[in-house]
Amino acid sequence: MHIRTIFTLIMMLNLSLAGCLGDEIPNEQEVCTTLSAGHEDDAKLRILTYDVLALTDSMINEFENSTGVEIEFIKVSDAGGILDQLMLTKDAQQADLMIGLDNTYLQTAIENCLIRETLFKQNLNHENISKTALESYDGNLAIPFDQGTVCLNYDESFVDGENVSVPTSLWNLTESQWKGKTAFPSPLTSSPGRAFMTATIDYFENDDDELTDAFDWWSAMYSNDAIFTSGWTEAYEIHYTGGYGEYVTGHIGDASLTVSYCHSPGVEAYYSSNWTHSTSLNLPKSSFHQVEYTGIINGAANVAAAEQFIEYLLSSDVNTLMPENNLMYSVIQGADLPETDGYRYHSDIAIETTDIPISRINSEMDDWIMKWKSATS
Amino acid sequence: MLNRSNRLVVNSIVQWSTITIFSLAITLPFLYANMRLQSVTSMNSISAITSFFQYSEATDALKFTIIESIFSVILTFIIGLPLAWQLGRYEWKHIRIIRALLSIPFVIPAIVAAMGFIALIDDQGPLSWIGIDLRGETGIIGTISSITGFENPGHFIALILAHAWFNISLIIRMVEPTLSTMDPIWEEQLRMLPSGNTRIKRLRNLWIPFIGPAVACASALCFVFSFTSFALVKWLTPNNSTLESLMAESGGTAGIYNYRIDTSEIVLAVSLIQLIILISALAITSHLQKKHSLRHSMISELGARTQRGNSGLVGKIIVITGMIFTSLPLALTVFSSFRVREINNGVVSNNYSLEAWKQVWNGDNSTIALHEALINSLIYALITLVISISIGWIMASCINRLEQEGKNKLAKMVDLISLAPLGVSAVMIGLGVLLGLLRWSPELFNWYFIPVLPHVLLTTPFVVRIMLPAIRSIDPSFEEQSRMLGHSGLRCWWHAKVSFLIAPIAVASSLSIAFSLGEFGATWILVRSGSWDTLSILVDQLMNQPKFNPLVYPMAMASATILIVLTFILFLMAERMRPKGEGSGF
Repeated sequence: MHIRTIFTLIMMLNLSLAGCLGDEIPNEQEVCTTLSAGHEDDAKLRILTYDVLALTDSMINEFENSTGVEIEFIKVSDAGGILDQLMLTKDAQQADLMIGLDNTYLQTAIENCLIRETLFKQNLNHENISKTALESYDGNLAIPFDQGTVCLNYDESFVDGENVSVPTSLWNLTESQWKGKTAFPSPLTSSPGRAFMTATIDYFENDDDELTDAFDWWSAMYSNDAIFTSGWTEAYEIHYTGGYGEYVTGHIGDASLTVSYCHSPGVEAYYSSNWTHSTSLNLPKSSFHQVEYTGIINGAANVAAAEQFIEYLLSSDVNTLMPENNLMYSVIQGADLPETDGYRYHSDIAIETTDIPISRINSEMDDWIMKWKSATS
Repeated sequence: MLNRSNRLVVNSIVQWSTITIFSLAITLPFLYANMRLQSVTSMNSISAITSFFQYSEATDALKFTIIESIFSVILTFIIGLPLAWQLGRYEWKHIRIIRALLSIPFVIPAIVAAMGFIALIDDQGPLSWIGIDLRGETGIIGTISSITGFENPGHFIALILAHAWFNISLIIRMVEPTLSTMDPIWEEQLRMLPSGNTRIKRLRNLWIPFIGPAVACASALCFVFSFTSFALVKWLTPNNSTLESLMAESGGTAGIYNYRIDTSEIVLAVSLIQLIILISALAITSHLQKKHSLRHSMISELGARTQRGNSGLVGKIIVITGMIFTSLPLALTVFSSFRVREINNGVVSNNYSLEAWKQVWNGDNSTIALHEALINSLIYALITLVISISIGWIMASCINRLEQEGKNKLAKMVDLISLAPLGVSAVMIGLGVLLGLLRWSPELFNWYFIPVLPHVLLTTPFVVRIMLPAIRSIDPSFEEQSRMLGHSGLRCWWHAKVSFLIAPIAVASSLSIAFSLGEFGATWILVRSGSWDTLSILVDQLMNQPKFNPLVYPMAMASATILIVLTFILFLMAERMRPKGEGSGF
């Protein structure tokens, strides 16, 4: 009797709520317009970001003291989380500035009208940004603030040149000596994973073999017992034998190759007194030049403070410290990694990165993801 | 002054209003999230449930969740029952400290527990020293894997061991009071009878009927907690997902129109299947707990213990081993907060310093400072305490009143509502609150007190569970006697009710503060709506950072240590508040 009553009540609530959803369903086609503020302007600057290491307390305090603007962070798990949050809160944006969308997500944000123009392109400091940082996107909706190249890293103590040689093609990784020895962050939930999957599309579109594509390779990797993880941390820290993970509690150490950045071996050396046994696999087109952007959210309340923060983040003093503070390259022309403790020495420069335009990434990503899912299950 | 009938009417209105608000706080976000997902995916609930088996990741997760939950229950039972037996039957010096040590895992944040456990099973950890490598799965564990073809048996064993660590207090807290208040004469008399002259017969005719409901009730709750496990699964079995962890991974992109519809489909299907399974488990729990609470309180605990005296050597070994088992992962966490790795020419050494504590205290690592996180945590914990004790008390009183009025079905329904937050996915509640706020009240989106909602939902079921047996045991004639003595309404309420409830209120308070301090899972999705980092979120943020910098890991452990110390103090305080002879209870 009571169960039936509860069920009826739930169904009634369900139906009444269904009515509330009617006017929520968005139109697929839309022309971007600047939206009014999605939240109250209380003079604070709300920044939507993931755990960007560069945003230290001292840096934030300096900005707050010099401008008088108070900062509040809304933190999500990673770059993908920023896009998810922007999409979710599209009709009532709760932050003013986003920091951390990369070039695999940027076009989706642009096409969904999630960010608005910034005046920073007219600022003299904009000219200090390097051409490589502006290659993927040079418009006035987003400004690059750091960059790095996502590529495969391997453990030199495993790839000793005798029993296992350095792969000269991605197909080598499908051979028996690599069985169960590779770990990949999933492109579904990880930005480096997504960037590397994009690189493999380009790699196999430009190799000599016209009969196979990237998803054949992913399928072969799955058959070769590749390990797939939800994020970079699990792949690099728990599974990879070449990185700092081997000194961290919880390390399993069953993979000798993983996805990270070409300069990750440099970061390893920087924190280990110029010593590392990790290096990057430098195959043409197997790496992805990742650029991270900041931009004003369409629906921001405190646009002026957001502009001020972009200017601050892109100032030479702050941005050239990216390698130390954020473990990424600066976007300022001429800035390089520090030479301290082998940081620069152990950081490889990719021979040739993928050149898939961000518009194609956006239009085909859903399809790639579906194909990747079926190739790896 | 209100007369008796008016008082009953007011009571009834307050109780039903509270229950309605509480029910809406759970069902509205869930239903709204459900409807939104249905709208986004163009699927209804029935088709979502039937489509569940089309998603291989979902069916794999379901299989893994059921298997690990069942094995976790069995292992918890194997470890917890001997401890409950020893604690319940014999006299122990410092029993409060022993109980606190054995119970503290239950309120330790899952992420801290995960860190403590991977320290335990690490290749330099204590288990590796005795040749058991659960993490790297070499040696005997590797052999088991190759003989049986069972993938990652070490990870699986580590997970069920961690679940047992987490849940043994459930067995102890529920079984020990039943044992400790059983009149020893029963056992003695049964020994004389043909139906009790052997151990097997006594087991069948005395122990199973007597402690069976308490064990079954604890097992059902243990099943629920293992079923919804997230952080432990994430860190201890990185190659497997439970339904909850699958939803947590997919939840970020769920509920958005024209974007990653596949994740919305998975979250919708998984949340409904999980709801069906958990509601069934909780209904069984509720039924068993009712039986359990009717069976105990046979004799004063102190009297029963004194008659049996001290435990023997085996008992002492069991209890000491139990305390080592529960304390070791925590001790390793504290120890790790002082250890900083250093590498010179490829040679790794460990330095011991307060450097990580200094850094995390100042917060200069893109995270909030430790002391700020601590203040946030304490504020939320205190607000949670006030709200959940009030709601829990009112709900428990309502259940008791309905039972006394003979409305058992209605009482059972309210009891089930009080348990409902444990059965509904935190991801779905979080998503519903987030979407609901955006839709109807965006100005509340950044409201500082929003995280209190999941904290209250999480803690209230435990407050009800603690308060209900105590309220049931109050004799209604006390109130009449107090009135006959001419006490005013307030004094009457104080003397006839509150004075009997001080101990359970204290226990419920410390437990709700401890749960709130350590709460992470339910808040994770709501955290996206503001910057209210608490201690457990700080630990998670640090653990998810790249640890190239050797200080990051000890910084996370330092934050976790503060949580451990706080919860331990609260637990000791709760144990001190229990009157002697009341039994441990839950």
